[in-house]
Amino acid sequence: MIRRVLALARKELRQLFASPIAYVVGTAYVALTGIYFFQHLVSYNQLLFVYQSEGLTGGGFDQGTVPSQINVLNEVFVPAADDFGLFLLVVLPLVTMRVFAEERANGTDELLLTSGLRPWEVALAKHGVTYLFVLGLLAASAIYPAVVVSRAGLGFEHLFALYVGQLCYGCAIASIGLACSSFTSSQIVAAVLGYSIPFVLLDFAWLTNTVSEEVAANLKEIALLSHYGSFPRGVIELAEVVYFAGIAFLGWLASLTSLELARAR
Amino acid sequence: MSARIEAQSVSKRFGSVVALDAFSLDVAPGEIFGLIGPNGAGKTTFIRILTGYWLATEGDVRVDGVSVTRDRFAVQARTGYACEQPKLYADHTVDQFLRFMGQVRGLAGARLRQAIELSVERMGLAPVRRRRIGVLSKGFRQRVALAQALLHDPALLVVDEPTVGLDPAQQIELRRIIAGFRGTHTVLLCTHQLHEAEAICDRVALLDRGRLAALATADEIKQGGSLEALFLARVGRAPEAAVVP
Amino acid sequence: MAFLPAAGLVMILVGVASYYATRSLHGMSVFSGANLALGVALILIGAVAQVRAFRGFSGAASRRVALRALAILAAGFAAVIGLDLAASRSTARLDLTVDELYTLSDQSRALCAELGAQTGPPIELVFFEDALLAKDVRLLVDAYADACPQVDVRDASRKEPPAGARELYTTTATTVIACRGEVCDPIGYPSERNITSALVRLARARVPRVYFLIGHGEVDLASQADGGYSGLAALLRDQGFDVRAQVLPATAKLPSKVDVLIAAAPERDLLPEELALLDRYLEGGGRLLALSDPGLRSNFYSDLLLRWGFELSDGVVVDDAASPLLEQPSPLNLLVHLFAPYNPVTRTLSRRTMVLMPGTRPVELARKPQPDDRLERVAFASERAFIARDVAMALAGRGLDRPPELPESEPPVAATGSYPRGELVPGTESRLLEARIVVIGDRDFASNRLLDALYNRDLLLNAVRWLASDEARIALTDKAWTPNQDPLTLQQTVAYFYFLAFALPEALLLLGIYAWWRKQA
Repeated sequence: MIRRVLALARKELRQLFASPIAYVVGTAYVALTGIYFFQHLVSYNQLLFVYQSEGLTGGGFDQGTVPSQINVLNEVFVPAADDFGLFLLVVLPLVTMRVFAEERANGTDELLLTSGLRPWEVALAKHGVTYLFVLGLLAASAIYPAVVVSRAGLGFEHLFALYVGQLCYGCAIASIGLACSSFTSSQIVAAVLGYSIPFVLLDFAWLTNTVSEEVAANLKEIALLSHYGSFPRGVIELAEVVYFAGIAFLGWLASLTSLELARAR
Repeated sequence: MSARIEAQSVSKRFGSVVALDAFSLDVAPGEIFGLIGPNGAGKTTFIRILTGYWLATEGDVRVDGVSVTRDRFAVQARTGYACEQPKLYADHTVDQFLRFMGQVRGLAGARLRQAIELSVERMGLAPVRRRRIGVLSKGFRQRVALAQALLHDPALLVVDEPTVGLDPAQQIELRRIIAGFRGTHTVLLCTHQLHEAEAICDRVALLDRGRLAALATADEIKQGGSLEALFLARVGRAPEAAVVP
Repeated sequence: MAFLPAAGLVMILVGVASYYATRSLHGMSVFSGANLALGVALILIGAVAQVRAFRGFSGAASRRVALRALAILAAGFAAVIGLDLAASRSTARLDLTVDELYTLSDQSRALCAELGAQTGPPIELVFFEDALLAKDVRLLVDAYADACPQVDVRDASRKEPPAGARELYTTTATTVIACRGEVCDPIGYPSERNITSALVRLARARVPRVYFLIGHGEVDLASQADGGYSGLAALLRDQGFDVRAQVLPATAKLPSKVDVLIAAAPERDLLPEELALLDRYLEGGGRLLALSDPGLRSNFYSDLLLRWGFELSDGVVVDDAASPLLEQPSPLNLLVHLFAPYNPVTRTLSRRTMVLMPGTRPVELARKPQPDDRLERVAFASERAFIARDVAMALAGRGLDRPPELPESEPPVAATGSYPRGELVPGTESRLLEARIVVIGDRDFASNRLLDALYNRDLLLNAVRWLASDEARIALTDKAWTPNQDPLTLQQTVAYFYFLAFALPEALLLLGIYAWWRKQA
């Protein structure tokens, strides 16, 4: 059972890295996050410099005290995490769109599902490998911030929390994309769905003004962004991890359902 | 080691389209059985039900008494399936692909290596085993499909249109290979080429618009002159296809 | 997949994206709204069409398999929602911030325990979910709700603030308001310090009174100038003290219930009656915070304080290890970093939490008034410091070089005294009353200009709290980020950037090109 899942996972990895899209996505994500992190770091340093030089030339130490709102949390980690989350939303559907749809379009799903593989094994291997890809993507993009943050003593553990959040968020988006991919044989449709659903679920801000406050509060509970905010602030909350794990589980279950429904057509 | 196939009035409908209509069949162990008919006659539909890829609307198929509706995985464990227009992973080399399929079939270690060697030797894949499937010729790809179907030494081999698009030499070679399974394996051969069925099958069933139109043994074919003549005599016209969505 | 739902999805995508792109300018635009509405309509039409075109499952087995799969999916949804609801009640969390910003300090926990023992209505933290800092503060407020049984968090919206909080709720910056029953108290910048201060204010059975002595050239409590004490008054009020200025009446007693009397560096002599009054006040268990400054001559120091065991001799402390932080670096600007570690007033201060005192008078100990009294020096200049006796010359910047023959010493700049008074508690050695005095040789460290510099605030608040017998709340300080300057040089920063943020994607891209080339080959 485990051996079959591992064999499938190896095959998925081979396919993933045989196509240039994984590398293009990796390049785009690592470059974008690096540049944006650098920008936030530089502007934070400039801000500190402004406050501190005012203290040297102007009215003395008291005015030079940096207000507690100006800190690496508010100026670097939180805005960087917002950017990183958006980039994940942009790049991940490009990876997930092919995972099931390509198999269906090429007919290789028939090969898999008539060779004794259980549908849950197929779904598990595909989801697992995609999460592994997300992990790799984040690990590659974390090298630069991690080195700078640990060298500058700005809170390595804090950065770790941010990346745990990124991983949760990325896996949730990926699982939605995979579920979309499993219901169609067209990669384009899978991509459109994979972009639309997370975008709609993002924070419902576009809807909350037109519905009652109670409904708005409930919508907020299921919105992706309202569960993402504590990670960049350096706190890993059990409830948020459970939420994202729940989405990933549902994505897997939806993929499984699509495989069963295809058999029952 | 060979298996018996029993299909009992299997039907498959897609909305108002009837792809398979109360189709019954009994294939004896060790037999090479031909399933012939024009494109869309219901051959592939039957095979997909037999291999557990689709569910039958009515009826059931049993392999060695095991119902495919009840326990498709048990049926799949006894079945090797080389599907039409071989659907393989073009990014894999032949070796990688066979290893993957072997692992999926539950083979590991020395048994896996042996099974791969045997399959490669049987199908004459040695010269191409390190090449990517995407760059192989159609004939080789068919052989790869057959090789993966044989990895776990199944009792039943299901082969769907194995010679489509092959040059005559490749066709002859592939038929020779399939004929070699007579007695040791049960083979269900799906084809729309009558002469192919005529050449290697012990018995042949003709599917026409999802229905069993005729059933003939090799001897009956020989007596009738040719398969074509026999079927024209039995059906009275050229077979027609149903449209499967 | 049918065309209509796909088109509908694209329209929703465009609608949502255009909304996010322009929402800061004007909420929902006609363009976004129309796209969203049309998109939803198209999906609905497509869905209806799909349902009508559905021809049922093919056969009983298919129906069984499909229904089972859908039932499992539905059960999965229900299970996940249930698990989410259960998990949302859990407060389990891992605080990985550098200063454990969202984990309550021991002092806040102690206060919560104290609140738990009280009767009376619970304290509500009214939390405005739509405020600017909501996400940051939510984590902190939840920590209170978790640690304090008597504190509840109540979510409120900006549209309908709760009754007691309505007047206090003013701007979008208002994030939390603390309420107990009908009484509400605003919380400024919602830090742990400010929230706990508000809890202290609401939890107090009676408000401790801090009186400032006036009429002898003391620092002005109302002055907002650099040297004034308006900031100190505001700080004490924020900490739940009732702050008033007090002229000493010539004959009568001090008003009852003066918890702490602050003499902020009187420059002129006090009348003999006033001195006598203060003596009586202290003998009755009074509490006095006395500040001074170099060069001040008043009988308050030479008479009253000397009588209670403190000798404020003429002089100013000069220290090489002084602060370069003020605009004019001078050895008179002390960075006080040596403290008595076990005295409640300085327990929280250390080498890393320094106090900045510009121009400080040495505070030495004299004879104890009674054998049971306890006097202690609590803050010191560094071992390289010495006392320049000519104050006028030193303040003018002359004679600040350390005489070579002087032995090393650490001149004290603050001291405390506690004086058991009154009758013996029956059956014990302790007395009913205890007078307390804190003397600090500088008045500027608590001025508007320097109160928020370094840990000046902590020294002052510790002193007032100890005097007000409020030791439990000593050292409740803000957990703020130490503003970390990125210590990398520009060259290092750029080098890291090139090698890690550019070379890595470059390598990935090259790998991608290789994969593409292999696929083509």
